[in-house]
Amino acid sequence: MSAAVTRSSNPEVAAGRVGPVPAARDRLAPWRALALPALLLVLWQLWALGLPADTRAPYPSKVASTLWALTASGDLPLALVQSLGRVMAGFACALVIGLLLGVPMGASAKLRDNLDPIIESFRPIAPMAVLPIAILWFGTGTPAAVFIVAYAAFFPLIVNTVHGVMNVPRRLLQAAHTMGVPRTRILLHVLLPASLPSVLLGARLGMGMAWTAIIAAELAVGAKSGGGTSGGIGQMMFVFYAYNVDLNAIVVCMGVVGLVALAIDRLFRAAERRLMPWKA
Amino acid sequence: MDHVTPKLRLQGVSKSFLAPRAKAPTLAVADFNLDIHPGEFVCIVGPSGCGKSTVLNMVAGLDTPDAGAIELDGRQVQGPGAERGVMFQDYALMPWQTVAQNVGFGLLHGTPGQGMSPAQRQARVAEHLELVGLTAAANKYPHQLSGGMRQRVALARLLANGPDVLLMDEPLGALDAQTRLILQVELLRIWGETRPQAERRTALFITHDIEEAVFLGDRVVVMSSHPGRVRADIAIDLPRPRREALRADPRFGEFAEHIWSLIRDEARQAIGGLTPTTPQEETTA
Repeated sequence: MSAAVTRSSNPEVAAGRVGPVPAARDRLAPWRALALPALLLVLWQLWALGLPADTRAPYPSKVASTLWALTASGDLPLALVQSLGRVMAGFACALVIGLLLGVPMGASAKLRDNLDPIIESFRPIAPMAVLPIAILWFGTGTPAAVFIVAYAAFFPLIVNTVHGVMNVPRRLLQAAHTMGVPRTRILLHVLLPASLPSVLLGARLGMGMAWTAIIAAELAVGAKSGGGTSGGIGQMMFVFYAYNVDLNAIVVCMGVVGLVALAIDRLFRAAERRLMPWKA
Repeated sequence: MDHVTPKLRLQGVSKSFLAPRAKAPTLAVADFNLDIHPGEFVCIVGPSGCGKSTVLNMVAGLDTPDAGAIELDGRQVQGPGAERGVMFQDYALMPWQTVAQNVGFGLLHGTPGQGMSPAQRQARVAEHLELVGLTAAANKYPHQLSGGMRQRVALARLLANGPDVLLMDEPLGALDAQTRLILQVELLRIWGETRPQAERRTALFITHDIEEAVFLGDRVVVMSSHPGRVRADIAIDLPRPRREALRADPRFGEFAEHIWSLIRDEARQAIGGLTPTTPQEETTA
């Protein structure tokens, strides 16, 4: 770029203002995130044009028509609702247990010393690895899937809750004590709000883990039960893989899983902003 | 003033701490004696680490003395209590609460607001926000305020709780020099130095700033360190209300100079200098 030309043609640079002008908002910014995915979709579609007509390989236009068909038939929305229901149930269990265990653990070093080794030794065991036990205990239906989800969501929740409670500034507790605030009120009105940022972070990460785990759990649970009864999007994928091989439908499921995960994440972030206006 | 029962009495107070990785406990405060009379503003100065904050924490009930007694109105202090309000150097404001909520925290959750209706609490909060000039910032969060404003919120909260004794642990310590000078005058106004002493609240103020101590205090207690003891107890008989012009008064300078001469050696030692001196009790009254 020629400095001399810029200087003569752009009055702002000529006036000595360097760098982007803050007032001019970048209107293209939201679209930039879509540019690369769009380009890849176009290339993918172009590649598919060269394939034989009866190919099983998935490509964008076919995926889109499958998405439409699965949505119109109600199969996909129903599977989503079933999966989300299990995620909510499992997440709620994890949230309750995580808070009931995490808050006292964060507050008491003795309790921490006792429980931390157990939690830390279970933490590396993947949700899929507890699936056999879940099926043995709960059978192949919803309870097993909910158990897997709760197991997956539990660890981020408890680790972050303990961390949050442990790191509540002692000063705030002392300040409350010097104002004659009773202990239960200090717990409710100092300890909990002060650890809320950590708890909500744990909840968001836990929810992400829960959603990841439900797909895996339903894949496996569905396999065991032969595909008929348990439902859910994970099982739907399994059906399209094992019974009527339909790669386009599998891609639809993958895409939907990703988009739902994104939506959940954004929902939690919005909730965080709402619940913690002081962080804005 | 010796005929008056002291508001606050510290008698032979000692406190040791076991520092991390240390084998033997360190004596932080040893045989500390101090009487504070009703309505008096007493400043404690001393080199860093001399145990001044430990003394204040024990009076607040946040620490328990190993030996000795702390009495408020002749009754032994046990644990924290709202009649001894504390203002911390880091303000200790609840970040999730607005300025008004912070000022009303003790009224809503603690003993000071017992028996108050919500309207009474609200009025009390409004009155104290007005007192510190923060009515316009009532709905802001602490992180949106400057250091000086946060300090005033903490002061409003302290006073809204209506404590009998004000305990202040370097409350101006985190502020820049100009803000400090302005807030010293503000603090005295809000404390009520224009009122007769009987109507003033008893205050214990910790600082490492000698001139601040002289400007604010009726008395300045000089501490020596390792262990923390009373080195000198100096009556500052400068007239109240104290104005900015006082800082230019030769007597103000003499007090500051005298106190510095008591602390200087230890302060030098603390930064790795020379000449240890034997601590020596000295009283100028």
